[in-house]
Formats: sequence, structure tokens, C-alpha cells
Amino acid sequence: MSRLQNQPTLRVDTNKPLSFTYKKKTFSGFKGDTVASALFSGGIRIFSRSLKYHRPRGLYSLDGECSNTGMEVNGIPNVNAEKTLLEKGMQVKAQNVKGSPELDAMGFMDSLDRAMPAGFYYRTMHKPARIWPIALQQVRKAAGLGKISPDFRMTGEFDEIFPTTDVCVIGGGPSGMTAAIAAAETGLRVILLEARPWLGGFFDYRQSEFSRDLPHYQRARELEARMQTLPNIRVFTHTAMVGAYSNNLVTAFQIGNEKDPFDERYLEIRAQSMIVATGCIERPLLFENNERPGVMQIACAHRLANTYGILPGKRAVFSVAHDLGIEAALDLFDAGIEIAAVADIRDNPSHAALVSELEQREIPYLKGWVAREALGAPLKSVSLTTLQGTFEKKLECDLLVASAGMTPVTGPLSMAQAELAFDQHTGFFLPKSLPVGVYAAGRLLGLNDSRAIEASGQVAGLSAALNCGKASAQALKDAQEMLAGRPQAERGCNLVMAPVKGRKAFICFDEDTTVKNIKQAIDMGFDATELIKRFTAAGTGPGQSGIPGHNLPLLVAQHHTDHGALTRPTTMRAPLVPTLMATYAGTNHLMSKRTPMHERQKQDGGVMRKIGVWNRARYFSDDFSCRREIENIRNNVGMLDATTLGKFRIFGPDALKALQRVYVGDMAKISPGKIKYSAMCNEDGCIIDDGVVVQRGENDYYFTTSTARAGITVEWIRYHTRYDGWDFNLVNLTDAFGVINLAGPKAREVLSEVIDADISNAAFPFAAYQEFTALDTIPVRIMRLGFVGELSYELHVPGSWMETLWDALSEAGKPFGIANFGLETQNVLRMEKGHLIIGSESEQRTTLHDVGLGGLWDRNKPAVDTVGAVALQQTENQEKRLKLVGFKMKNTRTPPKDGSIVVDDRIRGHVCIARYSHTLQEAVGMALVEDPLHAVGTEISIYEDECQGQLVSATVVPMPFYDPKGERLRS
Amino acid sequence: MALTLTCPVCGKRNGYEFRYGGEDKGPKPDDFGSSPETWCDYVHMNRCVAGIQKEWWCHRDGCGVWFTTHRDTLKNLEME
Ligand SMILES: [Zn+2]
Repeated sequence: MSRLQNQPTLRVDTNKPLSFTYKKKTFSGFKGDTVASALFSGGIRIFSRSLKYHRPRGLYSLDGECSNTGMEVNGIPNVNAEKTLLEKGMQVKAQNVKGSPELDAMGFMDSLDRAMPAGFYYRTMHKPARIWPIALQQVRKAAGLGKISPDFRMTGEFDEIFPTTDVCVIGGGPSGMTAAIAAAETGLRVILLEARPWLGGFFDYRQSEFSRDLPHYQRARELEARMQTLPNIRVFTHTAMVGAYSNNLVTAFQIGNEKDPFDERYLEIRAQSMIVATGCIERPLLFENNERPGVMQIACAHRLANTYGILPGKRAVFSVAHDLGIEAALDLFDAGIEIAAVADIRDNPSHAALVSELEQREIPYLKGWVAREALGAPLKSVSLTTLQGTFEKKLECDLLVASAGMTPVTGPLSMAQAELAFDQHTGFFLPKSLPVGVYAAGRLLGLNDSRAIEASGQVAGLSAALNCGKASAQALKDAQEMLAGRPQAERGCNLVMAPVKGRKAFICFDEDTTVKNIKQAIDMGFDATELIKRFTAAGTGPGQSGIPGHNLPLLVAQHHTDHGALTRPTTMRAPLVPTLMATYAGTNHLMSKRTPMHERQKQDGGVMRKIGVWNRARYFSDDFSCRREIENIRNNVGMLDATTLGKFRIFGPDALKALQRVYVGDMAKISPGKIKYSAMCNEDGCIIDDGVVVQRGENDYYFTTSTARAGITVEWIRYHTRYDGWDFNLVNLTDAFGVINLAGPKAREVLSEVIDADISNAAFPFAAYQEFTALDTIPVRIMRLGFVGELSYELHVPGSWMETLWDALSEAGKPFGIANFGLETQNVLRMEKGHLIIGSESEQRTTLHDVGLGGLWDRNKPAVDTVGAVALQQTENQEKRLKLVGFKMKNTRTPPKDGSIVVDDRIRGHVCIARYSHTLQEAVGMALVEDPLHAVGTEISIYEDECQGQLVSATVVPMPFYDPKGERLRS
Repeated sequence: MALTLTCPVCGKRNGYEFRYGGEDKGPKPDDFGSSPETWCDYVHMNRCVAGIQKEWWCHRDGCGVWFTTHRDTLKNLEME
């Protein structure tokens, strides 16, 4: 269908056609079209079938207030086609239909409405209970919106930004733009959000005069141009505000255009002041078949013609209650639509001039008349009636423009905790009181006069600026006087529904709730609007109460007039508009740290895994039992990148006191050149960390923590000294130093190649600490430890020297068969040695005593001064605790999986780690078991996945399994 | 999400940057550790004030300082 070319307000570029497919046919639209406007232009009138009754649905509001245009686009269900810009090649499908939207095999559902009264699902189908699963299947088949394929994968880029601003304006219509300009002119930073892809609000598509020779749309362009001259205004178009929280935190979602590097993004805006200028939508008129395709609201018909250049019908009847309805009738007449009549619910239109313009065009104007029933499908005629239902007349038409007046978009205000109260004069829910820093402007205050709307924006902008400490009180006073000089809020139409029974008068389209359903709910005793909403589901669909939001409380209040109950709106909750889950999820937050050896480890064949915050090499071959890596450590020498260890410096006069506070041992016993191994517990005496401490100078210590605790250690120590006012400094060196664990019987020979000093067993024995210069250049701190149970050195080296030293050691180690080893090898080796990893051999309830490390606790230290010591005292002899034991498998070489449970007649514990030990030639492991089972020699039964009831047996044995005397690591 | 806190070093910052450290109960009492009950009271028992409460916060993703502030637990807003 060709478009109206001479509309100055067009937002489609008719020089840029875009083709797409629907119902296996190629359709064509233009750049600027929405999917819905392009389909409508292509002759499509029925866009979907309704949730419950499968009634045909078409264009109604054009602003996404209902799911009428919910369609599947490029595999994504429930896309609101009237808000989605058309793109070339889109694949569009109808949803919730059997066949096509025009011929839906489920259409018979509409005649079953008497069988499905309000609360139908809640009240039937659950007695007897066995019915429900069967009914559920059938209900799911018949009712619903879109479907998504289980293997659907979302594509696209989803981003997030967290801007801070002084003033955040919600709504880019005349009042929002005026407010943004007023605030920005005081020098403040302003963010303006507009849900549509362009600015202008309800000025954008109107050709009527704002002032002499200045049409409304031109005025909107003027305001936009003024905003562009102010660099401190940041405009986000196609950005829907979805939430507001305390401290004026505003959340929104922006849809990207072709120039943006994202498809959608989440915005979280911190503002000092917030201005809500969201204007109005229309209050649906309730009459029989009020949602029949061919029935649409004023702005929908008006914008189809003026914004998209599409005539919404051939012959129209208007049933309206607002001057904008008359204005639309005039515009559509001038665009070429025959207007059969304009019925106006009101006694008096606000502007007599508009009525005389109708007369000039010989359009019948019916005061005090309203639509009673839409007839025919597709729409063939409408029956009109006087308000009392006394007289009736039937007019033929294919378009019925129906609206009961305006309704303010108060969602953002109520989210911001503004108190709304029903106003008799306008019929609106108006803000009675606003929270600090929240302001409202424009049409949502009930204003209709274009200059009053702008003046209210000026007042809000200056008030918001004043709240930020800018703008003068005088300027605000002047603006308020200006506003007072303009026409005030107009009397609104108070008709809730046409004089009909309401069996097919839909108050909520998304949930197929009729006026009759509401009456049924009231008859059943429901009186609160919120409960009626839940019971009838009105307003719980994707449109987020856009259609029933205003009518429902009005309708309920009508039934309560005897009780004098207050008319209250239902509560609004985020997100105010439906949003993609992908946008909520945002960018991929799975970031991990890399050690200086990352690339080298990969080149060497390392199989990298994300472990905690790090990316680390777990294996160096595809043999995940790591036999060769393990044997090489036991027989030769290997290197592990242990950079992820937590590394800290603590220094200052009170450094030792701080160490005493968090470590269970007596840290005063540290002597220079010697390593002190100790553990940290929480106040419950549960072990949270282990590591070593060395003294490097007076009041100057260097200590390590487990990888998992590295991030929290500074916070932990400061927390536990927060009342003391001690003088110490704490530096996290985790990312500053690399660590190489050089281990194996030949480690000394390799190390001596790079260090020119006496490192013999006598000069540098087990548990010693010394600082060297490697290769005559590199400062290296070396600890002689034995986590893997062999002679080994932990080399701590500045990160930038890490690769150099690593290379030197590899080179020096070649004659000795040096090889990389990964985390899994370390895991097996340390298990054989009975060394534990916090979090593997302990869980939240595991105390220092439970893992057999009670000896690390120095009971001569005052317990009150050591975190966890009081609990260590109290739990020392507690019974029935889970204790860490070593076990060997009986009759099998296959170890149970980590985490398998230990059972007899009930659960007695679990396996922490178990592996086949190549060194011992049998399967061994460690388990936490209840204390009667922990005695050496006890036989334990382990339940494993897939064991098919056959428990596997193991025997508790002493640890360590390997080199119990520790001769190898001391050698 | 909407909470902001005022770090004594860095000033008013987004609540995301902070870690909650519990109610301010003061230093360990003199009888801490004298019985399991006195220990448990201090370590685990809270007043859970519905209203304004003095509490500890750590500027975890900032300067790292621990500080106390007053927060209205009903509105989840820091007191000025
Ligand atoms: Zn700070």
C-alpha cells in the first residue's frame, strides 16, 4: 500500500524500502516503520489471537500497552511488533494460533466464555487433585502467548552503563524537553530518557497550531534543536524507563540503532533530582467487542496517518471524550478518510473552534453519545447509544476510533514512592505528595494547554535544579507565575463504561478479562482492587496494566460508592515495560585473572580451567589421571605456576598484634629466616585459611594465604582490628608477585644453576626462608616448603621477572627432565601426603580440630584476643563432629567420586577427595566422617552415583599415605 | 541497589562498592568467652533494628576502609 506522501510529520523514509517475511510471504515496509506499521500497511489487520478466548486482535494503541501485537520475530517470542523497528530480512510469525490469525482453529474458545468465569482455573481443576496435571497440559495448549524453542540461542550484544547525573528527565515530550533545557541552562548535567525512537511526545505527530503559524510538530523540533545546543544534556532515545528506587536511582533499557555497538543495554542512572514527564496514554472505552480489530485509540489512528503515512481505514466512526479525538478526526478527514460521525461523551468540548471545524467539513457531531457495540468481524458497523442507553443508532464503518479520555502514565511516579490520589476534577490519579528530589511535569498533571504543559516543564526543571543547589528561587517563582497564567487542568470524562452488560467488554486484553469477570469477582466477595486484579488476572499480562490500569480501580470504585471506599490505583512494579532477559543479564561477567605465565602455560599444552577468580592450567596432557606428570615429580623435578597464592606485606608498629589477632598460632615465635605455618579461623573456630608467615625486618612481615582467600584477607584483618586503632599497614601483593613451585628430588640441582649461593640442605634446610638474587639480577624470595611431599622451593618473584626466571629454570632443568605440572597433579601429590586444601577437606562447619590441625592453635595466647580461639576451646572435646580421615579402598582400584557420601543406616559424612595413587598403586582418599567412624581400622561404606545399591567399602587408615616420616621433603 | 554510602575517605559512593559488616556491637565485652552463651550472644545475636541502626561497612572496591554509619533499615537509606 502506498503511503501518504505529503505529511510533514512522517517518520518513515519512503526512499528506503525494507523487505521481510510473514506467513511465508515477502512484505515490504520502510525505514522508520515498526514491524506492526509495515504489516498494517501490507493489509494485515489481525496480528494475534488472545490468550484465553482466541479472539482476533489488531492495532489498538501503537505504544505497547497490550500484547495485541505480540509476535515472534527472528525466533524470539512475545516481541511487541508495534514497538519494534523494522529491519531488513526479519522473519515474523504469528503466535498462539492454530492455522493463521485470520482463521484460527481455536477460535471456538470465544463462545465458551460462560464456561470460564472469573477465577475459573483457581476454582475448578484442583478437585480431585489428580485432575490438575492433566488439565494443566490442556490449558497450556489452548492458552498462552509465544513459545520458545528449547535450543533457541539468543544472539546480539547486550551492554550496561551506570551514568551519574544531576537531573534525570523521564519523557522527551514538550514538558520533558522544556524541563531538561531549564535545568541544563543552570549548568547542571541532565539525562533525558525517551521511550520512542525520536523526541517530541504528543507534539511530534500533530499538525495543529501550537501558536500562530507554528504547528506542534515544529515546536517539538525547536525544543529538540535547543537541547542540541546544550552539551550538558545527554539524550537517550528508544530508552524505556523501567524502575525507580530510593536515592533517585533510575533504571532503563535502551534499544540500539544501527550505529550503536549494542543491541540493547541496561542503564542504571544515579540522579540528584528526577523529573517525571511521561504524559498520558488513553483510557480505553469499555463497550461490547471493544478490542475487535478495526477498533483503535485516537493516537493510534492519528499516528498511523501522520507518523507512518498509512490510512487506518476508509470510513470511520469516532467515539471519544477528548479534544485530541476531534483533532484526529479533522486530520484523518483531510487525509482522505470518510468520517461517519464523531460521538463525544462530554457535554462540552473544550474548544468550540474544533466543533465548528467539524461543521465546516459536514462531519456529524453527536454530543452525549458513545459506542455501545462493535459489530462484524472484520468490523462492519458500530452501534452508538446515548449515555443513558435511551436511543441507539447503527453506523457502517471499518474503523472505530474509541477512547474514554486520557490517563496519566504514573508508573515512574509510583515506583519513586510518590503518593497518588484520585482527583475528581480530572479523573486522574495525581501526585498528592512527591518524595524529595522527585518532580512531575506536563500532561500527567491533567494539563491540556500546550503552553501550560511547557510552563510546567519549566517549573519542574527549575525545581529540580534548585534541589541540586542551582537556579534561583526568583526564577522558579517567575516560572510558577507563568504556569498560573495558563489554563489549568481540564475536567476529565468520568464515564467508565458504555451502558452495556459487558460480557464481551474487555477491561484487560492480555488476560482476556471482561467487565463481567470483574462483576463476578465482586459478587464473590472480593472488594479490594489488588485482590480483584489477582483473581481475574486483569493487568497481570505483558502490557503491565497499560490497558486496565486506570479503568479497573474506577470500575471497582463504582461498585463501592455506598461504602465511600477510596479509589486507589494498583501497585506498579519494575519492569514497567517488558524487557529481554538477555538485556537484564547484560554483558558476560565471567572475567578471570591471568598469571604472567598464562600464554606460556597454554603454549606448553596446559588445559586451562577457570578456578575461582583465576584461569589456571589443570593438566598438561589429555591423560587426566596425570600419571606422567606425577611420576616426574616423584622421580625428577617439575614446575607449577603458583602465582595465584595470596601474598601480603604487613608492617608497622602494631603489625605483630594484627597477626596475633587473626592467626591461631603464636606469631611472636617467628624467627628471621624461618617459616611459620599457621591457620586462620572464624569466630566459630572453623578453619578458613592456612598459609605461612615470614619476618623480613623489624615490624615487617610477608605472608601467604590460600588462593581462595586472597581477595578478602585485607578486609578480614582490618575488620578484626577495627576497634583497636592499631598502627599497621597492609598491602596485597598477590598480583604483584609471581610464584614458581619447583618440586622434586632434583629441585636443588636445578635451582643451584640460577642461584649463586650455598643452598645445600644444611645452609638452606626445610622450612627456611631466604632472599636471593637469581641470575645476578632478579630479586627472589624463596621458601623451602613441601606441599607436594618432595624437596621443593617456592620462588616469589616480581611479576615482570616471572617469565625470565621461569625460562632460566626450564633451561637449567632440561638435563634433569624438568616438566610442567598442573593443578590436578598437585592435588594428587598433596593428597598422598595428607596435606589439605581449605574448602576441599573442610566445609563451613569444619573446625581446626576436625581437620587435625588443632596443634597449630597456641592455647597460651589469651583466647579473647584471637579470632576463633574461644570457640576452639569450647569445641575441642565436642562429640559427634565430622573428623577428617584418610582411607584406602577395599577390593577396588577405582576411587569414588569427590563428594560421594559415607553411609551406614544414615549419612555419616562425605568423601572430600579420592584418587588412584600411582605412587602407592591403590585408590586412597580423605573423608569427613562422624567421630565414631574416624578411628583407624574402621570400615566405611560409600554410596556412589551409579553404584546401583552396591556400596563400596574402604578402611580408615593413618595419614599421610606417602613418606609418613617426611624424609623426602626434608632431604 | 539504590543504596549509597559515604566513605570517610572517598565520599558518597554507590552501594555496590561496599561490603556490609554487621551491626555495630562495640568491642568484645569483658565476659566474652566466659561461657558459650556470652560468646554466642556477641558473635551471633543481633538487634535487627527496624529503623535507624549503626553499622559497619567496608569500602571493599575503593579504599578498603572499615567505617560505621547510620542507616534506616526500613528505607534502606543512609542517614545524612
Ligand atoms: Zn573509600
